[in-house]
Amino acid sequence: MKEAKKIFKTALEEGRTFVLENEAKDIMKAYGIPIPAYDTAVTADEAVQKSKAIGYPVVLKILSKDVLHKSDAGGVKINLRNDDEVRKAFTEIMTNAKNYGKEKGIEVDLSRGVFISDFADMGTEIIVGVTKDPQFGHALMAGLGGIFVEVLKDVSFRLIPFTENDAREMLKELKAYKILEGIRGEPARDIDSLIGVMLSVSKMIAENPEITELDCNPTFVYEKGKGTLVVDARILIGESKASH
Amino acid sequence: MNCGSTESIDVFFNAKSVAIYGASASQNSVGASIVQNFIKPQYTGKVFAVNPKYKQVLGIPCFPTLQDIEDPIDLVIVAVPARITPRVFEDIAAKGVKASIIISGGFSETGPIGTELENEVVDLAKKHGIRIIGPNCIGVVDTLSHIDTFFLPEYRCGRPKPSNVANISLVSQSGAFAAAISDWTSELGLGVSKLISLGNKCDVDDDDLLCYLADDDSTQVICYYTEGYDQDKGRTFFETASRVTPHKPVLVVKSGRGQKAKAAASSHTGSLAGSDKVADAAYRQSGVIRVDNFEHMFDAAKALAMQHAALGDRVLMVTNGGGLGVMTTDALEAAGLAIPSPSNELTQIYKERLPAYCAIGNPIDVVGDADSTRYDIVFEEAIKSGEYDMFVVGMLLQTPSLSMEITNVIANHQRQSGLPFVVVSMGGGFTTKAGEIMELMGVPTYATGEKAAFAAKALAQYGEIKYGDEFNKTIISDKP
Repeated sequence: MKEAKKIFKTALEEGRTFVLENEAKDIMKAYGIPIPAYDTAVTADEAVQKSKAIGYPVVLKILSKDVLHKSDAGGVKINLRNDDEVRKAFTEIMTNAKNYGKEKGIEVDLSRGVFISDFADMGTEIIVGVTKDPQFGHALMAGLGGIFVEVLKDVSFRLIPFTENDAREMLKELKAYKILEGIRGEPARDIDSLIGVMLSVSKMIAENPEITELDCNPTFVYEKGKGTLVVDARILIGESKASH
Repeated sequence: MNCGSTESIDVFFNAKSVAIYGASASQNSVGASIVQNFIKPQYTGKVFAVNPKYKQVLGIPCFPTLQDIEDPIDLVIVAVPARITPRVFEDIAAKGVKASIIISGGFSETGPIGTELENEVVDLAKKHGIRIIGPNCIGVVDTLSHIDTFFLPEYRCGRPKPSNVANISLVSQSGAFAAAISDWTSELGLGVSKLISLGNKCDVDDDDLLCYLADDDSTQVICYYTEGYDQDKGRTFFETASRVTPHKPVLVVKSGRGQKAKAAASSHTGSLAGSDKVADAAYRQSGVIRVDNFEHMFDAAKALAMQHAALGDRVLMVTNGGGLGVMTTDALEAAGLAIPSPSNELTQIYKERLPAYCAIGNPIDVVGDADSTRYDIVFEEAIKSGEYDMFVVGMLLQTPSLSMEITNVIANHQRQSGLPFVVVSMGGGFTTKAGEIMELMGVPTYATGEKAAFAAKALAQYGEIKYGDEFNKTIISDKP
């Protein structure tokens, strides 16, 4: 909890209302939310060294207070399988970020280098998110990713905090719930571990009400017994105020 | 229920002496209409008019200020132009009155100047411990105490009546809806205890009334019409409702499925949320039953007020008309209820006791020439078997073989078993009268199978809310 407060303080001091990816992951880790192995590096050599330690393949992403939408800035390189690819990706990301800054007429801060993460195996794609409603306060959303969320808007909500029973019902409300149970010979997904993630996020928000919005997108849930991974996390914050 | 003190709210419904500020003798004025309500013999408390222009209004004494009245005053109804309300509240404070309903408009609903005026009044009220309903509302109707501040003449806007069986109370953000519902329920045969129009909610709000009505013995079901909540007030309503719903059913119609919140959101989750989906989740999570419209609300409220919650989802449909049976079970199925066939044992018993041409199944058709004894057999054995949690009874009275004894049979089995019963009786004048009699005996009766199915669904839904894991849910619905 202290970890999170420190990160939010730094962000607000830098004039950011979002936290950097490594910071988001640090907070996630503190709440026991499963995430792929990660690290940061400020030089190409360091990136190679850290990538090796994590184990290939890896993902590299720009880490800068000036870049919120990393893909738009050409700041994301995925499925890097060896030292050379990492070295090349690092240089490209830095160049892209510089150019992105020129287009926007700002100088992009590159001093934090890149975020390195284990390239997670594909699982069933889930979105877990949090919104802060002006009337009802914080609510958690869950749904299956891809067309289920984009086209069918197949998502369900509960106010935070909620019980394990609520979390289970929430998933059952989804039209796509059968996919989690396993259809057409597919094994069942690890629903219990997904519920664990939902409850941990609920706890995180209850203890840090300054979080205004959060997306764990994508979150991969694997087959039963093999867990869940939050691959990407975005946290937005507002002024610190205990609301409930 | 532990909501805090509800004493300060009770006076709005049980005031023994009322002063009407802005009472007037001019025809069709708000001031005159309210005085007219209170001079009816049904209201047994004392009534005073306040208006420096008159010595008396419609035969009751009229005073320049409250302080000129010797008697203590419990409740002041304010129907004066907005700009002079601060002065009126000085007078209320000086008189030591603790409750006021501000009927007048012209406050925060009109813009910044009105908001300032409203804040001024609220500050005065807070300082002197005066509770306020309104402003910009039509106030309350209490069908038992006959407190009635609706300034609408009764020939235009009927008032509902209390029932000896069970009553609902309704809280409405909109005054116009409160009036329409008053008028509508006066004809509906639904027992009503209290109607409250909240207006701008400058003090007394949804939460206060939820707490009060939860403890009110004359209210069996609490109904709300709302368009939305003030900042964070949705959250407090959620928290209060979570405590109330295990003890008393709460129904809500919420309009304004607005898109505003969506536009403001910058995250994926925020853009998918919109306020209404969050509201929907909040109601579900706190055990509030949300319905789409007033027709559904009254159908559900009637059943919930008159019957116990169901302990499970297994419904037996009994009918003396095949078509009604099929149509109703279709609706029950669509509502997500279970319609299990009788077990082999139960089927065997029915075969022995009922004529061979009765169709044993679910629905169970005792056919057109049935008298009430066939129903009696069906209920007796089904209740004994423990195979059903609820009964939906088709009672078609066009056939002369079915005498009014059927209402006794239904009511007796309902009372003895404690299981919820819902009756569907289609038809004209005779049927309507029979339905009224059935309801006087405590069993809700509907004109169509769809309405009865909706009522049955509400009884199961509330059973799930009330009993939680102990509710016997036999089918897993695909739908939320």
